[in-house]
Amino acid sequence: MNAPQIVTTPAAIRAEGLTKRYGEVLAVDGLTLEIGTGQFFGLLGPNGSGKTTTIHMLATLIQPNAGSAEVAGFDIGRNAVKAREAIGIVFQESALDRTLTVAENLRFAGLLQNLPPRTISERSRELLELFGLGQYRATPVAALSGGMRRALDIVRGVLHQPKVLFLDEPTLGLDIPNRRRIWRFIERLREHTSMTVLLTTHYLEEADGCDRVSFIRKGRLVECGAPRALVDDLGKHILEIEGADIERLVARLEPKLGPCLADGDVAMFRWRQEDITELVQLQSELGAKVRSWRVRRPNLNDVFLWVAAGKELRS
Amino acid sequence: MKLRPFYAVLERELVRMIRQRTRLVAAMVRPLIWLLVIGGGFNSVVGRAHGLNYQDFLVPGVLGMTTLFGAMLAALTTVYDKESGVMRMMIVAPLPHAWIVLAKMVSAALAAIVQALLLIVLLVLLGHFGNGTNWALLAAAVAAASFACAGIGMLTASFSRTLDNFAAAMNFVIFPVFFLSGSLYPVESLPVVLKRAAIINPYTYGVDFLKHAILPASVPTDFSVGLDIAVLAGFSIVALTVASWRFSQESAYEPMIRVLTGKPS
Ligand SMILES: Nc1ncnc2c1ncn2[C@@H]1O[C@H](COP(=O)(O)OP(=O)(O)O)[C@@H](O)[C@H]1O
Ligand SMILES: [Mg+2]
Repeated sequence: MNAPQIVTTPAAIRAEGLTKRYGEVLAVDGLTLEIGTGQFFGLLGPNGSGKTTTIHMLATLIQPNAGSAEVAGFDIGRNAVKAREAIGIVFQESALDRTLTVAENLRFAGLLQNLPPRTISERSRELLELFGLGQYRATPVAALSGGMRRALDIVRGVLHQPKVLFLDEPTLGLDIPNRRRIWRFIERLREHTSMTVLLTTHYLEEADGCDRVSFIRKGRLVECGAPRALVDDLGKHILEIEGADIERLVARLEPKLGPCLADGDVAMFRWRQEDITELVQLQSELGAKVRSWRVRRPNLNDVFLWVAAGKELRS
Repeated sequence: MKLRPFYAVLERELVRMIRQRTRLVAAMVRPLIWLLVIGGGFNSVVGRAHGLNYQDFLVPGVLGMTTLFGAMLAALTTVYDKESGVMRMMIVAPLPHAWIVLAKMVSAALAAIVQALLLIVLLVLLGHFGNGTNWALLAAAVAAASFACAGIGMLTASFSRTLDNFAAAMNFVIFPVFFLSGSLYPVESLPVVLKRAAIINPYTYGVDFLKHAILPASVPTDFSVGLDIAVLAGFSIVALTVASWRFSQESAYEPMIRVLTGKPS
């Protein structure tokens, strides 16, 4: 008789109690995480929440004070070089030689990854085409715009076809059109490859396309799930009101609408039904006491705000 | 053993050297000024010794100068690499991080060797080189001196965090190393304190090795070829070890990765 076989797809990234301390600051605090092969995973949180530190530990560039992790099946401590072989990383800051041209940079990066020159030039041609940089092969990196440089940075990060790609704030510091362009490139890349991607961003609304997201706050993971499900769990609508005497308004509305998130003059409530006729009635009852009244769809930003405020999400 | 990453670092160094023409021209003009202007000038003041005028005596010294400056400037680009994005490209490569130090050191030595070869060609054309040169010994001397100078450069680079330190390194490392060697005068004739300094200066042995290869055998040198080779090789290995250790410490304690990846806000 055969014992029943348990087939598990190996996780691309598995972290267990990963902790990093800088003096007084606990940059990352007991982070436990599992990301399946081929997932597009978003690690979301405000500035200083520990996203970059997490990525650097997973990419074997800094050592955790406690905990362990495996990337593509390799232990980040004992097998760092093997792990790096499977990793591509695009830093928050550019990792390019400004004195060399686009093609020379890719050649340098590719040789460092031990790729044969033929492979390097074939792949860079393809990727530069894909990223709209086809005509800039001979341009010095110093002459590229910020958006183009970021795109080139991503090309550099995926040139060796890593199993796991880390993207640390790929759109940080770019204007809106360039942010959109970078996202289009990332989409194209996902269509062309099956690599696992761990992305960080503090523009939470950008993470809608992720398979799964985790929120990180002060070094701790606070919530995890598929973006749609998280948003749906929050409610169907968000009601945002503004008024002069906001405290009395809130006191009056809370019994009906449940707990609110207050931020200065603005209060936010969740509304769980699709039907908003009750809200409309409420609005006319309150009349002029409310300066502004807005009903809108929730997004990941709201999820984070409610999680951060410690409100029970699934109450 | 992966050779392509190694080659990548060497290739980049050579491409940059050829591209930075002014750096290359300066590397040729500097020793020629010493030889032709200062050497020529002192010829009439200092007499001949051992059948050699001062200018001839200076040839190994200026050749050494080229290897010293060439290797130091190339090694110190490691500091520039730390500040620009280049070191980020290197630390993510699937190699032990000590290899980066080794590759940088070899490429600095290579830059020095190329510049020394160029200068030798110029000196031959100007008629200041060739008579009685032991070419095999010269090749060994240029290589050994270049590696030792690259070692001095990597040590300096591994202890300086910022480009500001670069200027300081020029003044506080290159010039003392150059002047406190046998480049401009025989070590034998130095006052006691300076002589001691010259004896602990590894570069002195590089210049001495070059003298063995270039000057006629009748001219007395300060040390034996064997001692020169031992000191230069020993120092190169020690320098490589210490620089690699510093480098791995830096990434273990992370000030470097913080510099490399930007300060989190
Ligand atoms: N090398 C370091 N030395 C000291 N503190 C650090 C270092 N790196 C990160 N930190 C601190 O750790 C916390 C998390 O930083 P980081 O991981 O960069 O956050 P994020 O990427 O989410 O903005 C911050 O408080 C930051 O100041
Ligand atoms: Mg960050």
